[in-house]
Amino acid sequence: MRRLLLALALVLSACSAGGDGPTTITFWDNNGGPGRTPIYQELIKRFEAANPDVKVEYVGIPSSSVQQKYDTAIAGGSTPDVGGVTTSYLAHLVGQDALEPADERIESGPLKGKLLNGLLETVRQTAPDGKLYAVPASGNMDVIWYRSDRFEEAKIAEPSTWDELANAAVRLTNPAANQYGFTIRGGAGSVFQLLSEAYSYSGVEKFYEGGRSTVADPRNAELVRKVAELYKKATPEADVNNNYTQMVAQFTGGTVAMMHHNLGSTADVMKALGPERVAAMPLPKGPSGKRTVVPNPTDGFAVFKGSRNPDAAWKFVEFLTSAESNGHWNEKVGQIPANTDVRGAEWIQKNAAVKMALGVLEDPATVLVPAPVYLPEYSSITKTDTEPMYQKVLLGQMSAQEFLDQLAAKLTTAQQDWEKRR
Amino acid sequence: MTQTLIRPETPVVPPPSRPRRSKHRDPSRFFRLHLPLVLYLLFTLIPFYWMLVFAVRPAGETSLVPWPITFEHFDTVWNGVGFGLFFQNSLIIGVGTLVTVTVFALMGGYALARFKFRGQRVFLLALLCTQFIPGAMMLIPLFVIFKSAGLLNSLTGLIIADTAFQLPLALILMSGFVRNVPVELEEAAMVDGCTRLRAFFAVTLPQLRPALVAVGSFAFIGAWNNFLFALMFASKQDKFTLPVGLSYALGEFNTDFGALAAGGVVAAVPVVLVFAVVQRFLVQGLSAGAVKG
Repeated sequence: MRRLLLALALVLSACSAGGDGPTTITFWDNNGGPGRTPIYQELIKRFEAANPDVKVEYVGIPSSSVQQKYDTAIAGGSTPDVGGVTTSYLAHLVGQDALEPADERIESGPLKGKLLNGLLETVRQTAPDGKLYAVPASGNMDVIWYRSDRFEEAKIAEPSTWDELANAAVRLTNPAANQYGFTIRGGAGSVFQLLSEAYSYSGVEKFYEGGRSTVADPRNAELVRKVAELYKKATPEADVNNNYTQMVAQFTGGTVAMMHHNLGSTADVMKALGPERVAAMPLPKGPSGKRTVVPNPTDGFAVFKGSRNPDAAWKFVEFLTSAESNGHWNEKVGQIPANTDVRGAEWIQKNAAVKMALGVLEDPATVLVPAPVYLPEYSSITKTDTEPMYQKVLLGQMSAQEFLDQLAAKLTTAQQDWEKRR
Repeated sequence: MTQTLIRPETPVVPPPSRPRRSKHRDPSRFFRLHLPLVLYLLFTLIPFYWMLVFAVRPAGETSLVPWPITFEHFDTVWNGVGFGLFFQNSLIIGVGTLVTVTVFALMGGYALARFKFRGQRVFLLALLCTQFIPGAMMLIPLFVIFKSAGLLNSLTGLIIADTAFQLPLALILMSGFVRNVPVELEEAAMVDGCTRLRAFFAVTLPQLRPALVAVGSFAFIGAWNNFLFALMFASKQDKFTLPVGLSYALGEFNTDFGALAAGGVVAAVPVVLVFAVVQRFLVQGLSAGAVKG
């Protein structure tokens, strides 16, 4: 019996000794893949070297399924400690009461006063209670990527207005040589992109005016008409079904001279064409001359309420958004760093696209017109409900105004419902 | 007399070469038969060609004939993305599901074909109805059950999930195959002294070889291609499978076509090999199962 008790005591002591090892936290990357995973692995290595008491388990989630993965994990009570999130589905996670607010941690930690105000505001706007449920890490901005070599050959200056862009697109089109001036995103993700084009042209400064959506403003409709007129005249016919993959493939493959996308495609574009053949410009202005920008979803990190090691989780988030890590990350992916201490970094001076985007965002004359991505219905309204309508506009089966009227009505109803629930 | 009536040199059945001669008499045969088949074959092979070209062509090249070729994309997916481990996981899950589905389908299919029991039709109908429920709908309940059972993040859990979803169709298919084997054969074996089990192994099972191949192939390919369960029931990088690895190439802002194509080749090769080996049995098995059910 004594032997048995001794053995039991030994087993128990062995078990308790095992508990003294490093704390393990899990981190889900919301856009895992060959481009981003190695950068995170490097950052995790640095973090673990600096914090030997914390071990980070990296899990890369494919971006197309990340929302479903989070939903399943929340419903099943198996969330990670830290997760990569973007403002496009942050409201959905907040609605399920899955995330820890970050306000107090930021106020009392090393990130106080170090994060871009514009990005902080974008994240705050996605939550009904105005709290910060994710620490922003990267900003993104819509740009027009253009073939600087072809512009030079044709002696065309960089367009600064939509009319100049349309003229340049027509001049650079030669269907016989399979060359087109512009590419339209007519398929998946088209409406979100179209809205940034419309507001950059119209100069309308608010998405909602008196509780009603301003999407159907006649100036927005004018831009939609102008873009639709370019279809087939200065774009490939297949553009009516284009998603970003096809657009990027057309641009990097040399078929089109201009593409509206965002800084997210920097790596692809630069790898295929190089800085000597390609450049980025902000979305052109309209007749108002105002610079109105619909911000892209902001990327960041959230700590989940289900975390058993919230302190270690916050330590990791603070590390990822510190000047050094944030700079390293954004340099590699070519996006706007959220940490303001990175601004003076040498790489930003060399990266013309990021420098240009920062210049636009920092310009006091720039007006940000945030889209209501916090609406639970926003995704279905701008995708399932209205993308087919935009295709009809391109094909000449629906007028631009009629399309925007229907879109505005849906957005107004969704906003009113949201206000009531709030 | 008999010799004059039956001449051995005159075949009763026309030789197989005769229809071939007729094509000379019917030039439209080329347009009716061969041309559509060639076009269809090209249509089928073009995606494979596209995949191979992108897999071995250096990034940024646009040539339709990839030369010089590169294996950098294979290196990226195998070593950088971790396809080596994903391949191993997919293989374990595929073979595990193949074995469990085939064994259970064999037992259940035999019972459905050979025995009459109360509620048999309702049972069959229920099996059919399970096919109308999409996997995504069962995701959260299954996730909760698997969590309680400690089956999350394990290949065993994925084999169980895949087996559960593939078994109903396999059972229905297998019962059709078993019905095709005459029960009289088993009865004759039992008259000769075999037990039912012995009769099954000695007489029925050898006849079911095409059925086993057909059901097993479906189970393997279903498990091999399953993306949803592998992503949802595993939250550890070393438990993911090939379809999850493939979707890594499709990022939020960019698509790595080289990695996607190289990953596609890695994922397609085992399936093509399985089909090349078993297609003879598969065609036989499918046609046998198609007439009875």
